[in-house]
Amino acid sequence: MFPRTTDAATLPAAVEPARAGTPAIALSRVTRVFGVIPAVVRVDFTVEPGETVLIRGPNGAGKSTLLRIVATALSPTYGEGHVQGFDLLRGREGIRRRTELLGHRTRLYEDLTASENLRFACAMHDISAAGVPEALEHVGLADVTGERVRGFSQGMRQRLAVARALLRRPPLLLLDEPYAGLDGEAKDIVDGAILEARTAGRTVVLATHDLSRGGLASRTVFMDGGRIVPDPLREGRP
Amino acid sequence: MILLRQAAAVAGKDLRVEVRGRYALGAVLPFAATLLVVFGLSLGPGRTLLRQTAPGLLWLAVLFAGVLASRRAYETEAEDGAMEGLLLAPVDKAAVFLGKAAGVAVQLVVLEAVVVAMVSALFDLPVTGSVGTLAGAFLLGTVGLAAVGALFGALDVSARAREAVFPLLVLPLATPVLVAGVKATALAIDGRGASSWLGLLVAFDLVVLAAGTLVYEHLLED
Repeated sequence: MFPRTTDAATLPAAVEPARAGTPAIALSRVTRVFGVIPAVVRVDFTVEPGETVLIRGPNGAGKSTLLRIVATALSPTYGEGHVQGFDLLRGREGIRRRTELLGHRTRLYEDLTASENLRFACAMHDISAAGVPEALEHVGLADVTGERVRGFSQGMRQRLAVARALLRRPPLLLLDEPYAGLDGEAKDIVDGAILEARTAGRTVVLATHDLSRGGLASRTVFMDGGRIVPDPLREGRP
Repeated sequence: MILLRQAAAVAGKDLRVEVRGRYALGAVLPFAATLLVVFGLSLGPGRTLLRQTAPGLLWLAVLFAGVLASRRAYETEAEDGAMEGLLLAPVDKAAVFLGKAAGVAVQLVVLEAVVVAMVSALFDLPVTGSVGTLAGAFLLGTVGLAAVGALFGALDVSARAREAVFPLLVLPLATPVLVAGVKATALAIDGRGASSWLGLLVAFDLVVLAAGTLVYEHLLED
């Protein structure tokens, strides 16, 4: 069951989406090497505004690295790209203003409460904190707003990270294995966030190897060995 | 204005984490106290020698405490990938640097008050000479130490590298603060002014704060 729709009036206004007429993501021959180990190899990847794209692939396929390059957490070793119309290297701030990366690590402060973590995120993104109580209620954490994250389970932490993403309502939502360690209800909350973003016309890129969670995607790409390759499921291979 | 507001948010967050974690109280303060007692015992009971060496011991304790406090300020960022959150926030990274430095500086000021009281009691050191000069030396020295710690703490938040590299970078660079702080403190205890040493501390603070504001973003980026 999806959570109820958030009342948009109490949440901060969304940042303007991609520059008109440009893809949400346009990567050209992007390569990322760690030491001598290539994690992403000559990837061409384009996502149009409003698309919900699923990136599938085994562990170590390069999905996380690709999403972190798109989010500007990593720079490409070679290649170039634009996200929301901004250059990957020269337009980092524009990309960061319009992108939220929800990754393996929740990026929360353990000695802050749930509410304080969200309020700090609001301060860092220069947005109003008025929507914090509602965002917490939205992900089922209304009863623990004043409790420190240190006592939270992995599922609760992930819910809080989703609440942080909901607060910002970014035009581009990047989700890296968002279902890892979550129970069924928490997975539904993540799906609810994806559905809400999709309904609002925002772009979502979701990387997962959980085959049961691809139903919300409008398109699927498959990665293996750092490259985008033909999907083995479509080709009749396991 | 946004920069100062965001710097205040970073400092407030760090101080809140610190108060709840009680790291300064539980680790840094006992370390500084132990350092002073051990040095005091090694120097023997001679009152004159203790009083002559007290300013140096006091600043050594502050310096090592500053290293520990700065390192701690970045350990909390490494726990659950929070540093990446700061990196990906569309915030002027100078705000993060200034906020980190301010958070460490507030901790150090509290710590210095305790350390000065301990030195005064243990080494029979009068701190009633030139109180203004003494306060100025500690205030300016604190800003310099906190800024150096905040700047180099960002170099690498991976635990292993931080343990080894951080003191090696910070301690040599903090030498001007140590020298000027010791000299100004000694002069202040004698009731004399120390404008030249305080001027050196001001210059050091301005250089490190300006450098940090300019280069911090480049230290954080991949």
